Amino acid sequence: MSGTGTQAPFGPLGVMRSWLQSGRAAGSRRRGIGSIWAWLIFIAGGLYFILPLVGTYLFSTRPRPDPFLAYRQVLADDGFLGGLLYSFVAGLVTIFISLLIIVPTAYWVRLRLPRARPIVEFVTLMPFVVPPIVLAFGLIRIYGGGSPIIVLAATDLGLNILLVAAYVILSFPYMYRAVDTGLAAIDVRTLTEAAQSMGSGWGRILLQVIFPNLRTALLSGAFLTLAIVIGEYTIAQVLARTQAFGPYLSLLGRSSQPFQPAAVSLISFGLTWIAMVAIALLGRGSRQRVQVAGAR
Amino acid sequence: MTELTATRERGVPSARPAPRRFGWAWLGLVPFFLFATAFMFLPVAFLVVGSLHDGTGALTLANYADLSTGVIPGAFMNSIEISLVTAIAGGIFGLLLAWSVVLGGLPRVLRAALMTFSGVASNFAGVPLAIAFIFTLGLNGFVTVWLRDFGIQIYPGFRLTTKLGLELVYLYFQFPLMILIIAPALEGLRREWREAAENMGASSAQYWRHVALPILLPSILGTMILLFGNSFGAQATAYQLTGGTLNIVTLVISSQIRGDVLHNPGLGYAVAMGMVGIMALSIFFYSILQRRSERWLKA
Amino acid sequence: MHVAPPGNVATEEAFARPAPPLTLAALSLALGEGNLTGHRALNRPIGLLAVLALIVGACTSPAASVSPSSPPASQPGATPGASQASQPPAGGFEEFVPDPAMLAAAKDEGTVTTIALPHDWCNYGPREGWTEPNVIDTFKERTGLAVNELDPNAGSGDEVEAIRANKDNPGPTAPDVIDVGLSFGPLAKGEGLLAQHKVATWDTIPDSAKDADGFWWGDYYGVLAFEVNKSVVANVPQDWSDLLKPEYKGQVALAGDPRTSNQAIQTVYAAALANGGSLDDAQPGLDFFKQLNDSGNLNPTIANASTVAAGETPITIRWTYNALASRDAAAASGLEIEVVVPKSGRFAGVYVQAISKFAPHPNAAKLWQEFLYSDEGQNLWLAGYCHPIRYENLVAENKVPQEALAKLPDVAGAVFPSLDQLNKATKLITENWDKAVGANIGG
Repeated sequence: MSGTGTQAPFGPLGVMRSWLQSGRAAGSRRRGIGSIWAWLIFIAGGLYFILPLVGTYLFSTRPRPDPFLAYRQVLADDGFLGGLLYSFVAGLVTIFISLLIIVPTAYWVRLRLPRARPIVEFVTLMPFVVPPIVLAFGLIRIYGGGSPIIVLAATDLGLNILLVAAYVILSFPYMYRAVDTGLAAIDVRTLTEAAQSMGSGWGRILLQVIFPNLRTALLSGAFLTLAIVIGEYTIAQVLARTQAFGPYLSLLGRSSQPFQPAAVSLISFGLTWIAMVAIALLGRGSRQRVQVAGAR
Repeated sequence: MTELTATRERGVPSARPAPRRFGWAWLGLVPFFLFATAFMFLPVAFLVVGSLHDGTGALTLANYADLSTGVIPGAFMNSIEISLVTAIAGGIFGLLLAWSVVLGGLPRVLRAALMTFSGVASNFAGVPLAIAFIFTLGLNGFVTVWLRDFGIQIYPGFRLTTKLGLELVYLYFQFPLMILIIAPALEGLRREWREAAENMGASSAQYWRHVALPILLPSILGTMILLFGNSFGAQATAYQLTGGTLNIVTLVISSQIRGDVLHNPGLGYAVAMGMVGIMALSIFFYSILQRRSERWLKA
Repeated sequence: MHVAPPGNVATEEAFARPAPPLTLAALSLALGEGNLTGHRALNRPIGLLAVLALIVGACTSPAASVSPSSPPASQPGATPGASQASQPPAGGFEEFVPDPAMLAAAKDEGTVTTIALPHDWCNYGPREGWTEPNVIDTFKERTGLAVNELDPNAGSGDEVEAIRANKDNPGPTAPDVIDVGLSFGPLAKGEGLLAQHKVATWDTIPDSAKDADGFWWGDYYGVLAFEVNKSVVANVPQDWSDLLKPEYKGQVALAGDPRTSNQAIQTVYAAALANGGSLDDAQPGLDFFKQLNDSGNLNPTIANASTVAAGETPITIRWTYNALASRDAAAASGLEIEVVVPKSGRFAGVYVQAISKFAPHPNAAKLWQEFLYSDEGQNLWLAGYCHPIRYENLVAENKVPQEALAKLPDVAGAVFPSLDQLNKATKLITENWDKAVGANIGG
């Protein structure tokens, strides 16, 4: 980590004390050189991230005589906003269910069953190696007519349920890793024991102690999940959820329209970003509790 | 009872095998395994079955034997190489970027911007991503043209459609993934630890070597595995960019079970099983690595 | 679920009998049917229009019929192409009129589920900047049925798998009809996935392009053409040999992976024909692409409309109908694309239609096929620059409007491989492509 590489030699104890007391603001201001490194890294990363978007924008505005023709066409298309809306809703439901399953699981593995970790990790990584097309047709086979369990693939409602279930599976790798990293950063055991000593049950511990302390991690997981749901198209297509945004986007990408795909990907990039910011703002509500509940 | 167990677990190093392999604690994982079974294991069970059948429905191992023929071994090598390279490069640079906004003293608003941006970019993949890079660094991409105006010819020395180009493109979704996952871990580094280390006269390098890294390493390795899998499973980006000249595993599978031409689903399923095997192997190695690194860092 | 039990050949054969020739009687039947079923609002104007068409002399172009966005049929004069009605009769066709019994059965099912029909492919569906009638909307209009479109981008493998996976599932995910690469017809038939059906115009489909037992039948074809972005390429290549010129470095691309995509494989096949090969010898095609790759002219990017416009793949080899649709779309944005059908190597790529044996809507599926193979259905494909399989027959009977003929690309001399030849060539190309272009070495 060369980032904080050069530091002034530590001063006498008194100076240290004053640093300790001056809190966050001073903590971030003191590393002058570190900050330069941080800026350099951030700018390099920023350029890498921004340039392809600039390229997409420049290309999307090439139509003549109306440079924004592609944007007008996209925004006038019902499939676009309808698809985005459908996928946002599916994304939110997916996030909710995924959190409900993954947080208790990751917490439990960390607290009580470290032995189960490799197995759980393997299961959460499975979605990467299972081709989505196989998963999608498999769902139809299991939940189609004559299903030994329950017929879901025959109605729109059932297919919506299957789609969200598949997305929850797809979110596992991201959600589990995000939550687990978050748990690693807090002292799960001490928090749990403290809460238990105050007589809290498991549900309360999770909801009021663990969730608030995982704010950033949960947000990361939620972002990643929403992004998958917005972009996924294979499973949505096979399950006949053609109203979703992913199928719309992929369709356009393979159409004979040269400029619309670029316009659509920029607009959806922007809208998804806005959605992420909205989620981040919503997540802020719990910040107060972080400080109260946190063992810091 | 719960408290008792917690205390016992705490006192006992996790490496010690428990006397009862299937203790009550396993019940806590039932919802997770139930969901995974219902919506993943059951639906893909026929992957296993299908990989053991030939086109006529007869039982066979030929599909697995075929894994060593034709383009398949090369495809596995390519996939593993690309995934390793982008997991490591993405992991390192993603960590640096996350560090810059979390601990590097940049304005907080940049951190919020980067985190939310990463959310979007982490899944900016497939055709839109490939095309975005073509607009930028392709034959007539705007950066290519701009550099050309300055007398710098990046072509033909650099080509977006080679393995290197593909790796550069993959990083677009690998960095953000690393950033999102590792940022909470960086946040978890307590200021007190650093200050305590500094108090004891430790240099910054020593602090990272002996305090921060040991704490972060399990998370870093874990996230790199995630990055590896993320890249291993990617398909559309590679197809769009390098179409007819680069074999990767997902393309082989797709061509066998989806395409217009080859259609040997059994072989496709066997290749997918091969991917499952490689994922299992990589998690195995990662567990060893993690244990080793813990020991090394403690020493 | 199924109205007719699968395998009821007698019933199916009954439907397969040739429909009565289009007469006033049939038209009045259609009118009556509209009244009976209470779909007056939908059917009557159509029937009226059909009568009008007859009166005019059965020579209107498809543009004269009601397009979904155009005003009601009561003012046909206001529709875009109506002026042609006054032009001298130079080939034309009549509207599709469904067989009443089949229509009634199909209406009970209400929907036909299709798969793998991209909207800008052969004029299948509505799309930006295209005002002429398209296949799907016209079908809805003529029959009052809904069309449930599954993945328009599905590959042939996906389509067959969709039938397999939905064998027991009559829900919205099960395709009724498929549109697949030639070799998938026999494959799906062999697996018992297809239902038998012979459309009314069965006899006018060339024997070489259909299954004798009626399990699958050819739908349309095109040849391979060069789609050239003129803002990047100054000298437009005219034939295959031109592609090797040094000026096209990194500019020539395919629209698919030559190991998996029909289109790309047949591009190599076509190159073989142009370079001393034959339908029985595809090797020269591989040699040609090796040369193209060695010279640095071949760009491995999979081309689409955006990459052509961006100048990344300014010379893209693809089906005539895709290239021409792309040209039209680009023109609206001020981008000039030229489509060149090379003088040599005119290889006709055929796709085939079939009905799923497990179709949840078997009658709607038959109705859909009857529509596609009616004179109107065939002309709708043709308006999307595809040569419908009944093309020769239509031209011979003067059923193609002159104007539509003029827009069609010149595919004179196109050659059709037999299934056997195609399979052999496909095997050769897929297995040797890597060696030819040195795949896996790049990087």
